[in-house]
Amino acid sequence: MTRETATSLPVHTAHRHDARVPYGRAKPPTHRNLGLTPSWHVGALAAAAAIALVLGVWSMTQVDPLQIGGAGLIGVLPPAYFVALALSLAGFVASLALRRLVPALLTWQLLVTMVVLNGADPVIHGLPRLEASFRHLGIADNIAQTGQLDPTVDAYFNWPGFFDLLGMLSGATGAKDLMGIATWAPVGINILLLAPLLALARRLTANPRHAWAAVWIFYLASWIGQDYLAPQAYSFVLLLTLVACLLSVFGGWAWPTERSGFSRWLARNVSRLDGAVPRQGVLEPPRTDAAVLVVVCALIVLTMTVSHQLSPFALIPILAALLLTGRLRLRFLPVLAVILPVAWLLFAASTFLQGHFGQLLSSLGDIGANSFGALNTRVSGSDAHMFVVYTRIAEVALVWILAAIGAVVGYRRKTPWLAAAAAAFAPLLLIPLQSYGGELLLRLYLFSLPFAVCLVVLPLTSDKAAGLSLRRSLGLLLMGAVLATGTVVSRYGNDGMESFNDDEIAVVNHLYSTAPAGAILIEAVHNTPWRFQHYADYDYRTLIAAEPLPGAAPISCDSANQIAHRAGAYLIITESQLEAAELRGSTPAGDLQRFTASCATSPGWTKVFENAGGVIFHIEGVSNGN
Amino acid sequence: MATERSYVSYATAALAVAAIPLSFVGPEGLRLAVVGLLMLAGPGTALVLLLHFNPSRSTQATGALPLSIAIAVAFSLAMSTLVATAMIYARLWSPPVSVCILSIMTLGFLALDIKRPKHVLVRAK
Repeated sequence: MTRETATSLPVHTAHRHDARVPYGRAKPPTHRNLGLTPSWHVGALAAAAAIALVLGVWSMTQVDPLQIGGAGLIGVLPPAYFVALALSLAGFVASLALRRLVPALLTWQLLVTMVVLNGADPVIHGLPRLEASFRHLGIADNIAQTGQLDPTVDAYFNWPGFFDLLGMLSGATGAKDLMGIATWAPVGINILLLAPLLALARRLTANPRHAWAAVWIFYLASWIGQDYLAPQAYSFVLLLTLVACLLSVFGGWAWPTERSGFSRWLARNVSRLDGAVPRQGVLEPPRTDAAVLVVVCALIVLTMTVSHQLSPFALIPILAALLLTGRLRLRFLPVLAVILPVAWLLFAASTFLQGHFGQLLSSLGDIGANSFGALNTRVSGSDAHMFVVYTRIAEVALVWILAAIGAVVGYRRKTPWLAAAAAAFAPLLLIPLQSYGGELLLRLYLFSLPFAVCLVVLPLTSDKAAGLSLRRSLGLLLMGAVLATGTVVSRYGNDGMESFNDDEIAVVNHLYSTAPAGAILIEAVHNTPWRFQHYADYDYRTLIAAEPLPGAAPISCDSANQIAHRAGAYLIITESQLEAAELRGSTPAGDLQRFTASCATSPGWTKVFENAGGVIFHIEGVSNGN
Repeated sequence: MATERSYVSYATAALAVAAIPLSFVGPEGLRLAVVGLLMLAGPGTALVLLLHFNPSRSTQATGALPLSIAIAVAFSLAMSTLVATAMIYARLWSPPVSVCILSIMTLGFLALDIKRPKHVLVRAK
């Protein structure tokens, strides 16, 4: 990285159609605020980060996964882990407080924080997190092997872009097993996010110190775990890059501000609310290069469209917000961002649309059900799980409250804030559309977070060129410590059911080696690390959803027998299914164990395999009279 | 910095050339590293070099490097995805061929960069 100064030089070239006064409070760098940091300070901070990394990884290797309880990882992490975390946080704030920012040092410290916070899956478990990771591997495997899409299998095949990418990687390298990539995905995705986050934060904040602090807060507050091997994580990287590129190259008003009464009114009010246009990170390429970048932006929108259902629709309000705040001059791009996903839904994903049309329409406009209703379904389960759920809610509330305070501070200090506030709020406009399987609020928090953190840091960072005061540094460290601790609780709160072990994988492998192709495979509770192979070769069924459903029938041998009635079936029950049922209250306490014990002796039920990770039963079909 | 640019250009070209045979044969680990890196950053790096996203010419260009890296990765991933998806829908699925297309695209951008007048630079602040 290039050496950065604590502020940007004043620049007199305004954006096209930009009627506002450039931000001009920051002082230009002088010999007084450049290069006064002794090298040994930088070396000591880099060494402290290295120690934090070693200590953090070592402490995670000391965790016994079998001891993980209902509160998740927080209950079993040794004190050394928190020492490592504290060291990484304090080191970053100390670097941020230096007179001269050292980007290489800050990058190194952020990488350490990423590994300490997101490295639990590869270090502790050595397997991918979430059963969805295994399914995603299976879809990629299916595509790599067949080279075809069957949109009737499930929704994923209607938005296959990300899986095509994985299938291409698998097919072109001969790597049949991408489990290692899935295991390290949380760390890898967060590393990929660093550059777009930094580029974005530069365009939304007044100086590099704000930008680095905002990126740091993003990593500390990003607890929702949408960084596993999934289309969401992939599209999020693309979305942030797109927005950063637009803000950097295509900033300014999309129309002459004097064209009409509305445009004059809009420009006047935007200027009155926030007359400060951040200059750092602005690029003014030649016309031909700008045209190439327009094509690049359009291709990124197209890639998001073919890869993920939700992200392109989240992009629309964000682009609209930037357009209306005079930060995006490409008028056609928001239009393209509407046309492409709608056209894809109508034509390429028509199979999905036909099968889910009623479901999509039923939740349209139901703001209560899509927001608080969906939230309520998640506020259930054991006491320990409830503690985790409330921590999550508190963390989201804290970030949004701090962002609101930051917006007020930005307004009063005449520091850039409006574009970040508008873009942070914009994704919430999706709430009336649908609940996205009850996950909409989680996803909206993710889309909102990169913009919200640019506001969160405002009260605790100064507009002054050099360093941070001791008071602000301590405040920033305190906020970082609270968010990081909250993230350890909330991100890994479901670790008991979201992580898997080798015994469970052995059970699943045994199931595939036993069951003939085309057989019905049943999971007792929807939380099995399967389908990473033979994705479309079996008829997969579920008895109980992981989330407790109102009015759902209790689990019984009869429900499994009915599925197996004609041709027989294989039933798999794993440790993680038991954990999920207990944590989320999918079934009454002990119900799944009773189900296993009573059904094992039922006529037609044969135990095929059992180990510490789970058990497989074969249920005979009509020949047994079930 | 011109030297650094040259190194990046040579490394990108070497990656693109090496990926072509490795997409057909070779040790799995090496194929995964080379082809994976090409899909992650090959065409995008070449494009960014072509666009001269070079912050070194200006002390004010402090924001160019993060954006350059971001665009290099996002464009590479986007092209990999779109090529793979196009082949699937066209019923022409052949992962090695799609890697060859990415390699040719990367080398094409690098060739354009060589031909391009060097005074065309991004003005950054």
